[in-house]
Amino acid sequence: MAVPKPDLKELEQGYRFGWKDPDHSVFTPKRGLSEAVVEEISSMKSEPEWMRKFRLKALKHFRGRPMPWWGADLSDIDFENIYYFIRSTEKQAENWEDLPQDIKATWDKLGIPEAEKKFLGGVSAQYESEVVYHKIKEELDSIGVIFTDMDSGLREHPEIVKEYFGTIIPPNDNKFAALNSAVWSGGSFVYVPEGVNVDIPLQAYFRINAENMGQFERTLIIAEPGSYVHYVEGCSAPIYTTDSLHSAVVEIIAKPGSRVRYTTIQNWSTNVYNLVTKRAAAYEDAVVEWIDGNIGSKVTMKYPSIYLLGKGARGEVLSVAYAGKGMHTDAGGKAIHVAPYTTSIINSKSVSKDGGRTGYRGLIRVEPDAHHAKSNVRCDALILDEESRSDTYPYIEVEEDTASLGHEATVSKVGEDQLFYLMSRGLSEADAMAMIVNGFIEPITRELPMEYAVELNRLIELNMEGAVG
Amino acid sequence: MSETLIENGLTEKELPSPPGQPAWTRSLRQEAFELFRALPIPSQETEEWRYTDLSGLDLDAFAPFASGRVSDNLDGVAEEVQEAVGELGERAGLLVQHNSETATVHLSPEDADRGVIFVGLDRALAEHADLLEKRLHRLVPAERTKFLALHAAFRTGGVFVYVPAGVRVELPLQSLTYVDAEGLAVFPHTLIVAEQGAEVTFIERFVSRPLERALSDAVTEVFVGPGARVRYVSLQDWGEGMTHLSVQRAVLDRDAELRSLAVAFGGSLSRTEVESVLSASGGHSEMLGVYFTDGSQHFDHRSLQDHVAPNCGSEVLYKGALKGRSRAVYSGWVHVRKDAQKTNAFQTNRNIVLSDEAKADSIPNLEIEANDVRCGHAASVGPVDEDVRFYMQSRGIPADEAERLIVTGFFQEVLDRVPLPEVRESLEQAIEDELERSD
Repeated sequence: MAVPKPDLKELEQGYRFGWKDPDHSVFTPKRGLSEAVVEEISSMKSEPEWMRKFRLKALKHFRGRPMPWWGADLSDIDFENIYYFIRSTEKQAENWEDLPQDIKATWDKLGIPEAEKKFLGGVSAQYESEVVYHKIKEELDSIGVIFTDMDSGLREHPEIVKEYFGTIIPPNDNKFAALNSAVWSGGSFVYVPEGVNVDIPLQAYFRINAENMGQFERTLIIAEPGSYVHYVEGCSAPIYTTDSLHSAVVEIIAKPGSRVRYTTIQNWSTNVYNLVTKRAAAYEDAVVEWIDGNIGSKVTMKYPSIYLLGKGARGEVLSVAYAGKGMHTDAGGKAIHVAPYTTSIINSKSVSKDGGRTGYRGLIRVEPDAHHAKSNVRCDALILDEESRSDTYPYIEVEEDTASLGHEATVSKVGEDQLFYLMSRGLSEADAMAMIVNGFIEPITRELPMEYAVELNRLIELNMEGAVG
Repeated sequence: MSETLIENGLTEKELPSPPGQPAWTRSLRQEAFELFRALPIPSQETEEWRYTDLSGLDLDAFAPFASGRVSDNLDGVAEEVQEAVGELGERAGLLVQHNSETATVHLSPEDADRGVIFVGLDRALAEHADLLEKRLHRLVPAERTKFLALHAAFRTGGVFVYVPAGVRVELPLQSLTYVDAEGLAVFPHTLIVAEQGAEVTFIERFVSRPLERALSDAVTEVFVGPGARVRYVSLQDWGEGMTHLSVQRAVLDRDAELRSLAVAFGGSLSRTEVESVLSASGGHSEMLGVYFTDGSQHFDHRSLQDHVAPNCGSEVLYKGALKGRSRAVYSGWVHVRKDAQKTNAFQTNRNIVLSDEAKADSIPNLEIEANDVRCGHAASVGPVDEDVRFYMQSRGIPADEAERLIVTGFFQEVLDRVPLPEVRESLEQAIEDELERSD
């Protein structure tokens, strides 16, 4: 199947690329959403009856719910003009040359190896990491850890999936969670048995199943008591996709005493609407950390949340958002304190440039029985030029007199004296700016795996070229 | 004095028509009444009203007018009203509104000679229509909500403060609105105009006896001219049973300064929206707030710092304490528009929760469209600091005395910014009273 050669300008404007209908007979994707499409997805995957029903119920919810009236402008999304299920191979560009020039150029500058580039661009089904993945998989198998794509998870571990799937984010949670629940495909399934400490980060792109870059991916992570796992999604290189809508759902169940860390670096190309629901349940003394970097996309709306359901549970959200030309990144985090002695921290850093708009939107809620809950929110924004914009919408709702909550935010531009000082020491303006911005987001980057931190810093440097304070 | 529920409802034939009013006021009322009928009661589905449920408010149960006892001087007004006026301290003028009517008004002759106007709004419309035509309901228009339409249709009484260019009113002007009519809807309207370089302080209080049901649908519009300085204090101390809905909006011209303080203690439900529009360079707006809730009171405070022009500053500081099963909501907006470079805007909300059934929400929002700005906000909700209490107890101060000291100290940060001794003293007293009241 051929993909029309993408035009850069159209890409920037968020043009949605169509593609010719494939001529082979196995499955003919149709635009638009209907019961028939949902049934077809379910039967193609030979899913159990409960999942088929789950999907159909979710479709009803999706239809019944209005679009969110708050947040970013979503009026350009045309649900009838989207392919809801495409075989992974069909969405890949056929060859390297078909990819937009700016994306290839960024990869070159980031110093990403050729093979990896091709994999990330979706032009290669073969990639060395397949070998790596199998090696890792053997190790994981030996300690009872399941790490597979969600479709295989459902096939191979139906009892576990059925018990947890959709329990943290029910299909009627919001319009886009409902959409995902109806048409999900791909994503990861991770199960860590009691007391097991997974000492290497589980990286989604180790899995060779190309569905991991899917439009409607669905990830479910279950950490049994006392276990530890770090899951890494995405990467700092720009991900080119012809899909205009990416709407994932991620559910985490952190049982008593477990710790789950979930790291995302999202860098979709700037034609993508990235509307993601991420939520974790943290039981007694469990720790859940969301590290969430949003660098790309046309529109992102994503607020990773943690329900602190057990005494002493702790949640942390670290969020970095960048919005350049034509981008609106509406990110943030939520912590819902349900149990006593629970604590949460939200730390958000955002940078807007070239007319981009970043937003922090957050909620801290303390339920009546969550006595001695503590929460602290800090969000800082840098606005690099007069075209750009930054918004902060923090919600704090407290129903407990012993709870203690704080929120602080600052918005500013890069200080002229800071720039002047660095430039007087021989740095170019762009380097000085990059250094200041990298310093600004350092509290987040230091929590990333090293290679991600390095790539993120380089990415910021690239984005700062031509920036003026 | 206690009146019974008035028969007349919020109907078209009850639209007030005080003597000597210009024709445009009649059409304004008529249009507002149509809007009132057409608009829905604000729904909790909207962001602005998310925390306040008015769906149960039965507007048919209110009467738009009740008379008060009118007199040439303060000695002639009703006794309870005199009592409510209390100790006033030195002042340049006083206006008393009893129910829907201006009961008495006085302005020092010196200030009157210098062109200061201080009268009830109905009289102002008869005598100074030219000063009002381009201002009345212009900052807070009727079409904004059903309640503002209702206000614009049935407004009576009210206060008009006008200070000509360059005139400085040394002592505060004061007003008291007192309600004792069961089932009454009052529509207090304060319109303040300070021309170029003028200076004035205006303090208003709202008091009522405990009522089964009453509605206060209030609007304040403040025009701060170039280089003018206005201090505006509103003290909401309604009795039980009052639903208080108030919008206070000011527009600041070049180099203007507004210092406002909104205090809320009373009423069953109290919603106050305080807004400053910095429309020209060099303006500065300080917006302070104090609230103390108890019982089952529901308070909803909103602030807006709207920076339209560059080189302006604004600062919001709202502090509240909560007792009983009460709920207090603060939501604030800093909006820095594209041209408002070199803005300094800050916003702080702090809540101290004194009971385990009270509920506090705090939503300080920022929307920043300019880059060369310094903006920040902070919000906190928490109990009395146990460490501080423990320290004080270890120094021999009993637990409840320690709590009293901590709470009064908490409010001191706001009170210290109000250089009006009579306001400070009455606030300190009100805070003490609230602390002593058992739930």
